[in-house]
Amino acid sequence: MIQPDYTRTEIDLRTAVTGWRLWVRLGWQDVKRRYRRTAIGPFWSTLSLGIFMLTLGILWSRLWKQDIRGYLPFLCAGMLPWVLMSSIVTEACSVFTGNESIIKSMWFSFTVLSCVVVWRNLIVLGHNAVIFLVIAVICLVPVTANTFLVIPGLLLFCLNALWITILLGMVCSRYRDVAPLVTSILQIAMFVTPIFWAPAQLGAGRVNAVLVDFNPIYHFIDMIRSPLLGNAPTLWTYEAVMMFTVFGWLGTLALFSRFARRIAFWI
Amino acid sequence: MATSSIELRDVTVEFPIYGSQKSFRSELKQAAGGIIRRDGSQRRRVSVRALDQINLRLEHGDRLGLVGHNGSGKSTLLRVMAGVYTPTLGEVRIDGSVSPLFNIAPGMDPDDTGYENIVTCGLLLGMTLAEIARKALEIAEFCELGNFLALPVRTYSTGMTLRLGFAIATAIDPEILLLDEGLGAGDVRFAEKAKARVDALIERSSILVLASHADALIKSLCNKVLILDSGKIVRFGPAVETIDAFRAESDEAPTAKPGLHVASG
Repeated sequence: MIQPDYTRTEIDLRTAVTGWRLWVRLGWQDVKRRYRRTAIGPFWSTLSLGIFMLTLGILWSRLWKQDIRGYLPFLCAGMLPWVLMSSIVTEACSVFTGNESIIKSMWFSFTVLSCVVVWRNLIVLGHNAVIFLVIAVICLVPVTANTFLVIPGLLLFCLNALWITILLGMVCSRYRDVAPLVTSILQIAMFVTPIFWAPAQLGAGRVNAVLVDFNPIYHFIDMIRSPLLGNAPTLWTYEAVMMFTVFGWLGTLALFSRFARRIAFWI
Repeated sequence: MATSSIELRDVTVEFPIYGSQKSFRSELKQAAGGIIRRDGSQRRRVSVRALDQINLRLEHGDRLGLVGHNGSGKSTLLRVMAGVYTPTLGEVRIDGSVSPLFNIAPGMDPDDTGYENIVTCGLLLGMTLAEIARKALEIAEFCELGNFLALPVRTYSTGMTLRLGFAIATAIDPEILLLDEGLGAGDVRFAEKAKARVDALIERSSILVLASHADALIKSLCNKVLILDSGKIVRFGPAVETIDAFRAESDEAPTAKPGLHVASG
């Protein structure tokens, strides 16, 4: 049985708190690099995301006979957290293997490297949010007290994104089969999770329970989507996310305390 | 600073070899219900023992040279001291902050400008922003890149990139300095300057551990030497005597030209 090393874990996490300047800078540099020699940089992905949502929004609102003014904001408010989540998860798989040169040349906080991934995707979210602002103005999405729930929602989102990044980074360093597995799961998850369609369209029943009530991805998305549309997420959504946060961090810390010192051998 | 020390007790490092034989699938099978092997013996994971029961103590003022063939464990030992590898067995105790310089400026990004890289690499090496601001001018002066520092590193020649990386890496104030040989720094004229700078860097440090193939370099910089072979300590003692005795005993000639200080490669 491998003995956990909690001191190492504590130092690793503390370095990320005291050394926030480092990951803030590394994240910014990553985004700035995407601007190099292009006129609009990361806005290219925003633009393609915008076109994607506009064309599909028009098509699907016809197919499902929904009002475009209601469907388009719904689609966009769900796509933003989805893109954030899926790109963090994808990049998490290579967070340690991709930083091999740093990890092998000095003691380095794995939490700092993970914070870089979460932070740079938040910056990209800031770019993508422009689409929602435009759509919200055109479609007259109401701003209510619930809208401000987006702030605690994002905080909870990031808190979870961090442990997921550390955990996936660790697992993918050891087992190289996991990264492609994650990619294919993400592809399916995008369609079976209520992002393009509303849970109500599914009707009640067992399928609904699996795809909605017990689907953590749904709760993470709705925690951001509902406030953006001026509604409050259900209490169950917050409860599910809280449980996910607590158990996720506990599990990650337990594994990290045992295996963090092995990561350098794995990559 | 005077309290810096390094202590290794029975340090053994084994590298697991992951490859064809062991993957997610086989681990899954094991986790899913324990396949009983016919011979009943445990299938051992293939591993390479890079360091074998190393005992060592270094104090303030010690300058240790690591000598040995390729693959004798010099780099692994340095990385254990740097905290990169945690020993499979044994204990490491280090007092004082460690500054490893194994390769030139890890984290240097070719798309960023020279100035941006000075800040990024400086932070990565553990400097504060104030410290970097204080040293930026000196780094810029030393690497002689002038206006090029405002251009992306991608536009530099290999030698220029090396000079920048070298200037940043050697700007630190180390307590425990770990140096791997081949901290190269461009053309011959620059090598003279680089040598002086490395000497000053070593002068500032409390403990130095230097891995090198050049006997003369170790004799001139170190007071102690550790000779490694296949991960085991062969000899340990005062630099000049130990190396001479060892070389006299083994028939082979010294492996590198004497006087070669900052070799590239």
